[in-house]
Amino acid sequence: MKKSAGLLLLFITLFSLSNVHAQSYVSEDGYVEFESNAPLLTFKGISNNLTGLIDFDQNLVDFYVDLNTIDTGIRLRNRHLRESYLETDKYPFAEFTGRLTTDFDFQSAQPQPATVAGTFKIHGVEREITVQGEIQLVSDGLLLTAGWTVRLEDYNIDRPSVVFYELAEEQKVSISITLKPVN
Amino acid sequence: MKPSSLLLFCCLFISEIAVAQLERRTVVEDRDVELTFMAPRNINIYTIEALSEGELHYSIMHTFGEVNTGYQQFWGLDGGASVRFSLEYAFTDDFSLALGRSSLDKVVDLTGRYLFIKQKSSGKIPVSVAANASVGINTTDLSFVAEPYTFSDRLSVAGSILVARKFSDKFSLQLSPTFVYFNRVGQELNVIDPNLNTYAGLGVSSRYKIRPRTAVTLQYVPTLYGDTSNYNLAAGIDIETGGHVFQMFFTTSRALNDQYLIAGENGNFFDREFRFGFNVNRIFNLKGR
Repeated sequence: MKKSAGLLLLFITLFSLSNVHAQSYVSEDGYVEFESNAPLLTFKGISNNLTGLIDFDQNLVDFYVDLNTIDTGIRLRNRHLRESYLETDKYPFAEFTGRLTTDFDFQSAQPQPATVAGTFKIHGVEREITVQGEIQLVSDGLLLTAGWTVRLEDYNIDRPSVVFYELAEEQKVSISITLKPVN
Repeated sequence: MKPSSLLLFCCLFISEIAVAQLERRTVVEDRDVELTFMAPRNINIYTIEALSEGELHYSIMHTFGEVNTGYQQFWGLDGGASVRFSLEYAFTDDFSLALGRSSLDKVVDLTGRYLFIKQKSSGKIPVSVAANASVGINTTDLSFVAEPYTFSDRLSVAGSILVARKFSDKFSLQLSPTFVYFNRVGQELNVIDPNLNTYAGLGVSSRYKIRPRTAVTLQYVPTLYGDTSNYNLAAGIDIETGGHVFQMFFTTSRALNDQYLIAGENGNFFDREFRFGFNVNRIFNLKGR
């Protein structure tokens, strides 16, 4: 009994210590956009519902967005995007789970280059990706910006030949999110 | 289990939660079911598919001559087309007004559409329901008729309740009981009974998606009141091209608006008395983001 009580005390101490130094940052209202540059049409889809977590203790980077929230500016196009391209009934989220492969200096207020590696999942297809971006310590938390390219073919997103001139094969994705510390 | 080890277990469990991924949650839990049909029309009949506020829907509809006229008439295409042009504007996400002009009896119609019940993805609301009302003005030169037509003689109205359900990603079905009234009828109009002012029919519309952007469509309109041996039957295909929706079909009626689809004469589908027809639908957004 005494032994386990001691163990418990040790554990609680460790646990609360790790809480004191917890370096977890989350947000539910990050910005994400994709840009499609096709020969006849350039358009953007945006969402302000990017949800993200960076946990420096566990080195966990976890982001997702509800694809139903993406707005391309034309609601009929949104509906077609959801129904026949992203199939959001079956696959409602775009998700990234991975880790930081660069160090972050909490003493600096400058934007710092950062690289994450992990699994990106959209339309039911998972791929390992590496994304470069920047993280900056700001007054209310961390400002993270990043961008990468998603090839529709890599994620089995069907692009009919009839609309090739209206929808680009490569979509430029960029995100911007201010993550706030969790206590 | 000792209380202390239980506590330990709880602590472990809590810390386990703390490092886990974020829970995936959709922003809206119970969404409206979308794209029950590919366009505001399915062959000749309006669907519950509403425009969004600020959207303008331009549609051109055609039907040609009967296919059984053979090669000499190029299976009906030489017969000249019955055409309807229309522009429809959505004042809200549920309500729109359309101004259309059909070549058959040169009818200009003003049609209002209101979607007031939306099917929910959870199934809590199993169907979408809309109401349509239309006033048509026959603008044909009718001066040859012995007793002249007054303005009100030229009016006809149509009203329908549309009940639709998207049963699956692929299959949707709509029932639209429709009531039609002509202020004045006669031999000079393209209605099946020159002595009957009131007609009613049941629109049955369905679509089955065979590919992500292609669907097979069917339409059946039995007459409920009027000449009950007269019914419309049509089959077609819808193709969505990322901006336009093209609809090609064979139908037994020349009519392209509700009044004449219900009150007009139909050929016998099984005697090849059907016509080729097609619609082009394009939706523009006038409001921007």
